[in-house]
Amino acid sequence: MVSTLAMSPRSPGLRLGLPQVYAGLILLLALAMLMSLTLGYKIYSLDQVWMAFFAHDGSETAVVIAGLRLPRALIAPLSGAALGMAGVMVQTLSRNRIASPDTLGLNAGASLAVVVASIMFGVQSLAGLSLAAAFGAFVTAIVVFGVAASAGGLSPLKIVLVGVTFASLSHAFVEVLLTSNEAQLQQLLFWLSGAFVDRPIALFYNGLPVVIVGGVIGLALSRALDALQADDSTAAGLGVPLGAVRGLAFVAVALLTGAAVSMAGPVAFVGLVVPHAARRLVGLRHIHQLPAAALFGGVYATLADVAARFVIYPVEAPVGAITAVVGAVVLLVLLMRRAA
Amino acid sequence: MTTLAVTAPAGRRFGIGAIVLIITGLFVLLCLAAIAFGSTWIPLETVAHVILGGGEKTEKLVVWQLRMPRVMAAAIAGAAIAFSGYLLQRITRNELASPGVLGVVDGAALGVVLFLAIFSNESNSLTVSVAWQPLAAAIGALTAISLVFILSGRQSSSAIRLLLFGIAIAAVAKALTTVFMLIGPIYQAAQAARWLAGAVNAISWSEIQIMALCLVPTVLVAGWLAKDLPPADLDDVSSRSIGLNLPVYRIAVFFVAALLTSIAVAFVGGVGFLGLIAPHLARLLVGRARFAGILASMLIGAMMLIGADLLVRVAFTPLEVPAGTVTAIVGAPYFLFLLMRKDKTNG
Repeated sequence: MVSTLAMSPRSPGLRLGLPQVYAGLILLLALAMLMSLTLGYKIYSLDQVWMAFFAHDGSETAVVIAGLRLPRALIAPLSGAALGMAGVMVQTLSRNRIASPDTLGLNAGASLAVVVASIMFGVQSLAGLSLAAAFGAFVTAIVVFGVAASAGGLSPLKIVLVGVTFASLSHAFVEVLLTSNEAQLQQLLFWLSGAFVDRPIALFYNGLPVVIVGGVIGLALSRALDALQADDSTAAGLGVPLGAVRGLAFVAVALLTGAAVSMAGPVAFVGLVVPHAARRLVGLRHIHQLPAAALFGGVYATLADVAARFVIYPVEAPVGAITAVVGAVVLLVLLMRRAA
Repeated sequence: MTTLAVTAPAGRRFGIGAIVLIITGLFVLLCLAAIAFGSTWIPLETVAHVILGGGEKTEKLVVWQLRMPRVMAAAIAGAAIAFSGYLLQRITRNELASPGVLGVVDGAALGVVLFLAIFSNESNSLTVSVAWQPLAAAIGALTAISLVFILSGRQSSSAIRLLLFGIAIAAVAKALTTVFMLIGPIYQAAQAARWLAGAVNAISWSEIQIMALCLVPTVLVAGWLAKDLPPADLDDVSSRSIGLNLPVYRIAVFFVAALLTSIAVAFVGGVGFLGLIAPHLARLLVGRARFAGILASMLIGAMMLIGADLLVRVAFTPLEVPAGTVTAIVGAPYFLFLLMRKDKTNG
């Protein structure tokens, strides 16, 4: 089983070896992060970036680079990586290539949990809100999968319908809570807008360990996840403890989605697009799919963030709008390919 | 078909008539109650008095200028969206179909947001008449549903395919709506955001007039089309054999349904799940009878939106919580319930 998967179809056009793929992705990520530091409303030179980090002279340039550009150059790739890995696991768990933290309503659930925690329980600390986001994503994952499963199997239509319905339910509750607590509106819009701009660097340090834990759980499960790509009985025949693997994978997905939402808010459709790219690059084995999704997710989110600074220059667009447009088009292409 | 009608027991047919009458009665009561409730309570007999032309000046003002427009708008829009949902569920033979799931609502929303973004000037007022807004919504909705059709291609008779593409087109439209709200002037963005959530608060008589003028012919055409709706348990082949030109007929029904929703949505915004639930409840109450079903759907749709608006007015005053949130909070769980129940019966 595993050996067949190893020979599984990778895109015929790309005949790169795995080391080259990883090297290329890492290089791209470094490049994207450099672009994120230098490009924007003002364009800085590499010298100025170097100065800001290693010879901080208190000048405006140094303050902007270290205080504003650096956090987003770190948070964007980390969120992208988290959503990419979460997307891979969600698509495997549901055996559904159009599943993602968005189409399953996980982003919306995490946002709702953040709003509830802040308004109803007075949670203010970043760590507390991050925890709430992960909890919201976890509960939504369980409920959506549970409802879809009891509605007659995890067919693509069922699971997406349930997810979309949960998302609109969450949005409605968020709307009610926000309109009735306008004092906290401004502060919470920060979480709900889906953007990397103006995030404090502390969010990065909060999110990093969570993403690492989620990623490590995913990697530890990679063999079992490989087997789950077939059907349940095959996986069970290969000795995979289905319940335990699913449960742990849910925890990982919730941690990753929660971390991403707590850092950047619901950035749309990253978790849908990235796994497809990762599979084309490294094939179906999760031990490679997950790292490739993390790296590509990082590149994708960072580049989208850079693009967001220029599409309606001089004003900045929220990155969520850009990823939503790209993601929606990819979703259409995926559906049409299934139809063909 | 005729044999069915003839053999239907008289008591059952009387039953349907009685149920429709009861729903109509409830509808009238709810309308009166919705006018009576608010920041100040106006006794029902005063409401009736004012409507019949009497009453004092302040009472007249509150009833005619403040409360009546909301109730009227909610009733008209709710009925139109429910009719649209009824048509879509019947023509796709899928009780999960609705204007929202097929991308019609988000397409209309995109049309309106584009309209607001393009035709507003520096001082944030519209440069053209607001009467053009339903046209923009209709263009958006028709574009969306055409795309859903074209993309589903030869398989457009499969309801599942249509629903999946509808969800995808809705996602695209939603994404573009966000983008255009950001590009447009800030004031328009705030307006659009409130409107997108679905609210009937700031509606005026002139807007209601335009909405009604657009809807009356559409409803008539829809009713004329509805008389040919194939029975729910007839498949494509059998429908063709009784002389229906299904492809053309289907497209006509889809377009009329899209028009109904888009006109309503142009004025009251994205009210979620109405078009899904109202036809359902109607079917539960009156069964498969066609015109009773349409009438009941429209009345129930109207009552749901009036009720939602009444609830947000009474429970959240002075805040303006959009009525669309109530329909979503009620509608989403019902939809999930349907999803779960449907497969139990289908095995």
